Amino acid sequence: MIISAPFREHNPRLRAVGTIIALGLALLLVALWRVQVTHGEHYDNKQEAQSLRRIRIPAARGEIVDRNGVVLANNRPSYDIAIYLDRFSKKVDVVRAVQTRLSALGAELGMDPMLKDDVVRAHYEERRPLPLPVWRDLRPESVAAFAERASTLPGADLIVMPVRQYPQGSLAAHLLGYVNKTQDGDNEDIDNFYYYQPDSVGQQGVEKACDEYLRGSPGGRTIRVTPAGTVANDLGEKQAEHGGRVTLTIDVRLQRIVEDALAATKLPAGKELRGAAVVLDVRTGEVLALASVPSFDPNIFNPATPAPTIEAVMNNPSSPMLNRAIGGRYPPGSTFKPITLLAGLESGAISPQDTVVCTGSIQIGNWPRPFRCSNHSGHGPIDAYNAIAESCDVWFYKEGLKTGPEAITRMAGEFGLGQPTGFDVGHEQWGFVPTPAWKWARHREKWLDGNTAQLSIGQSFLLVTPMQMACVAATFANRGTCLHPYVVKQIQASNGQVVHEGQPDVRGHLSANPEQLEVVRRAMLGAVHDPRGTAGRAAVKGLSIAGKTGTAEYDTKRGRLNCGWFIGFAPYDQPQVAVAILIEDAVSGGQTAAPVAGKIFAQMFGRSAEDKGVAELEVYAD
Amino acid sequence: MQIKRSMEMIKQMDWLLFGAMAALAVVSVFFVYSASYRPPPQPMPGFYKMQMMWFTVGLSLYLVVALVDYRLICQWATIWYAIALGLLLLVLIDGIKVYGARRWLGWHGFGIQPAETAKLATLIALSYYLFHRTRESRREFSIVWVALAMMGAPFVLIMLEPDLGSAVVLIPICFGLMFVAGVRMKHLLMAAAAGVVLAAIGLPIMWKLKEHRAGQRNYQQDRITVFLHPDFDPRGAGWNRNQSVIAVGSGGLTGKGYLQGTQSLLGYLPRSVTPNDFLFSVIAEEQGFVGSLVVIGLYAVLLFSGLRIAANARDRLGMLLATGVVVMLFFHIFINVGMTIGLMPVTGVPLPLLSYGGSFVLASMTALGLLQNVWIHRRIY
Repeated sequence: MIISAPFREHNPRLRAVGTIIALGLALLLVALWRVQVTHGEHYDNKQEAQSLRRIRIPAARGEIVDRNGVVLANNRPSYDIAIYLDRFSKKVDVVRAVQTRLSALGAELGMDPMLKDDVVRAHYEERRPLPLPVWRDLRPESVAAFAERASTLPGADLIVMPVRQYPQGSLAAHLLGYVNKTQDGDNEDIDNFYYYQPDSVGQQGVEKACDEYLRGSPGGRTIRVTPAGTVANDLGEKQAEHGGRVTLTIDVRLQRIVEDALAATKLPAGKELRGAAVVLDVRTGEVLALASVPSFDPNIFNPATPAPTIEAVMNNPSSPMLNRAIGGRYPPGSTFKPITLLAGLESGAISPQDTVVCTGSIQIGNWPRPFRCSNHSGHGPIDAYNAIAESCDVWFYKEGLKTGPEAITRMAGEFGLGQPTGFDVGHEQWGFVPTPAWKWARHREKWLDGNTAQLSIGQSFLLVTPMQMACVAATFANRGTCLHPYVVKQIQASNGQVVHEGQPDVRGHLSANPEQLEVVRRAMLGAVHDPRGTAGRAAVKGLSIAGKTGTAEYDTKRGRLNCGWFIGFAPYDQPQVAVAILIEDAVSGGQTAAPVAGKIFAQMFGRSAEDKGVAELEVYAD
Repeated sequence: MQIKRSMEMIKQMDWLLFGAMAALAVVSVFFVYSASYRPPPQPMPGFYKMQMMWFTVGLSLYLVVALVDYRLICQWATIWYAIALGLLLLVLIDGIKVYGARRWLGWHGFGIQPAETAKLATLIALSYYLFHRTRESRREFSIVWVALAMMGAPFVLIMLEPDLGSAVVLIPICFGLMFVAGVRMKHLLMAAAAGVVLAAIGLPIMWKLKEHRAGQRNYQQDRITVFLHPDFDPRGAGWNRNQSVIAVGSGGLTGKGYLQGTQSLLGYLPRSVTPNDFLFSVIAEEQGFVGSLVVIGLYAVLLFSGLRIAANARDRLGMLLATGVVVMLFFHIFINVGMTIGLMPVTGVPLPLLSYGGSFVLASMTALGLLQNVWIHRRIY
């Protein structure tokens, strides 16, 4: 054993070691204070930023209902089978593993997996904590089959997604529009959410026009994720607020009448039915029905529909997606004559008693060919009343020349032609009213008398939409008061508060006096009820209808077509509704369009024995 | 008789030192649990149970080492040193390869890290050597050469594993002992300067050679780069460092609460190294600056008790042993805690008594046993 003397010497170097250690520990404490207390918040934010993810939860889209509360658009649950990719480890080939898993699942359930590899990969990379839907919109038996085996199918889950549904099918499709999902929300929203689940976005019609109200406000879910991107836990959810309810002015029963009447249009074999119909409440400007054929079923725009089905509709040469009532431009033909007549009367250039002898045609200026009348053998001596009722072109050529293009185009402008009607839904065409100044500016050609003659009978560059012509009819019905048409009656937010109320909105009054207006109205009454009137097929027993037919020639991609028109209103004394019917490829307005209007009037006013249901339309029963 | 004397000696123990050690051991078990915690239904890893077992084994070792007179232990210094070098050679030949380094000797499912035994053996050998030099010879430069050579042998062997962190710990032990042994400052500074020059030339060459041989960038080099540029490769080489700083910083003043540390819970601090190298990050995240303060405080008690023991040792050998242990512990603490807050480069230097791991728990407790030993035997029995 070593024996040594007790060692208790004072050692300054030991003291130095002690000092170094004290300084070292103090340095650690200062550094820890800096990291934990001074900059603690900074690191806390960093920690949250790397592990917290917000998921956007889209709100349930609001309902669209008709004026009586009948549902036109709402949501139904779509049962989807989804898989969670965060259960797949990064170490394996995820896409292969997922596809293997899906084949096994598919075999079990008797369905083919149809996910593309890049879809799986993109979902795994970017949206891992979210379920990836594999089979969408399952039939009840498939849901049941899955539910039975669910416990043996780990990683797969039944999720319920809202899908837009149009219970009435294609009814009023052009008015309602449709929805689809797009990735692009507004940027702020995308920045706020790590996982952005988009809303359905309205693409046409009311769905688009009222999109901001129908959408509601999204909710959010906050999750904590691991470095591998899998969900560690849920930190809470903010419920989405469902969208508002939009009430339309249309009446489903009337809409159906109009669509059925339009669909039943009699056409010679080989002609395809394309056209539109608009029914307005003349007292308010409410659109009671609006139809366009051919039509489409907005229910197909849902994620479960195979792409070719949608493409077939989108690329159909007959353009079923086009709302012809507001988006189609056609020459008005003879339905413009009441405007010409009123313009002449108002300007004082002509009088109702002016009589013209119609020989079936007339030479105007040095026009290369004579101007012909619709009645090639001529009407004989004819006055203003009969010129409207029997639709004599020669009378209008002559009287139109007397009136002059300025007065006619001014009156067309007072009726709202060449301008938007202000209809609140959809992309509206303005139509076109030609003027001498326009012709010079555009074609460097002088306006000729022949142009005036053509304008008088609603041809010569003149273009209108069925909606505009319905407004023309409504303006005659209202004895000169012109209203904006509208279809959104009310918008109610999800809390019940009314955020928008459709109101009658007067856009102006005609400058013509009541007597002058009455001359034209009476002539239009004659067109329907006079035995020689061209609109006789629109007549309904016991109902006084005023109207005007039109058959306008126009050139299209399909060649030269006759578009057939009927515009009118009823009842004559206390007008309630105005109607415009357009058939793109018609025999004539009187033969093709007027009977459609007749059917609509008859059923609307309960004058038809076979349709008792419509007699309940209390508003229209006189 | 023997037992009675042993009890007598235990009563003479430095109970403050023992208390601080016991407190750190308790903290260790709790936070090894937290660092390896998995929420049910996942099975809870048994690390904390293993750690408890190591502390139990360590306590018996502690008592044995504390009671057998340190002068007796040091008489065998050459043998301890030879055994340690033998184990280091063995691990290079037959070690278990983990992440490209041979650091473990396996034996029936248990592994030991010879580097840990080498630290202790070198400490004892150096103390014994320096103790035997006369006052005059201690002032000659040759003593520096011999001491450096004694340190150099295990240093090189550990570097070959490679285990940079463990090897580097030998340097402060050696210099600390020479310093308190009274080696001239001029000689120490010359040795230090030579060492710095050697490292500045040697390390890059070594890294280049390794890079050339392995065909990939050296992780040691990456760690230094990360230390100098924290934003270098944040998802790769810089991940651990950055995630650890986030963990410590987000703990704030009072922490997130026990088992609430999301950084370790979610795996942002890699599960494989958190219970060992980043246990302090877990404590700091869950208990905040207050927790850090408590841990540093307990270490301060440990270290200054050690210095008091050194100052009160009955002979120079005891003083050298105690100082060596204190320097070794301090160096581990400073490197490890400094690493968790980005103050030091990431090296695998564990935290004494807190980090999970059998070899290091046993080594730490043996070292503390030596301290106790010097204290108990400051009087002659």
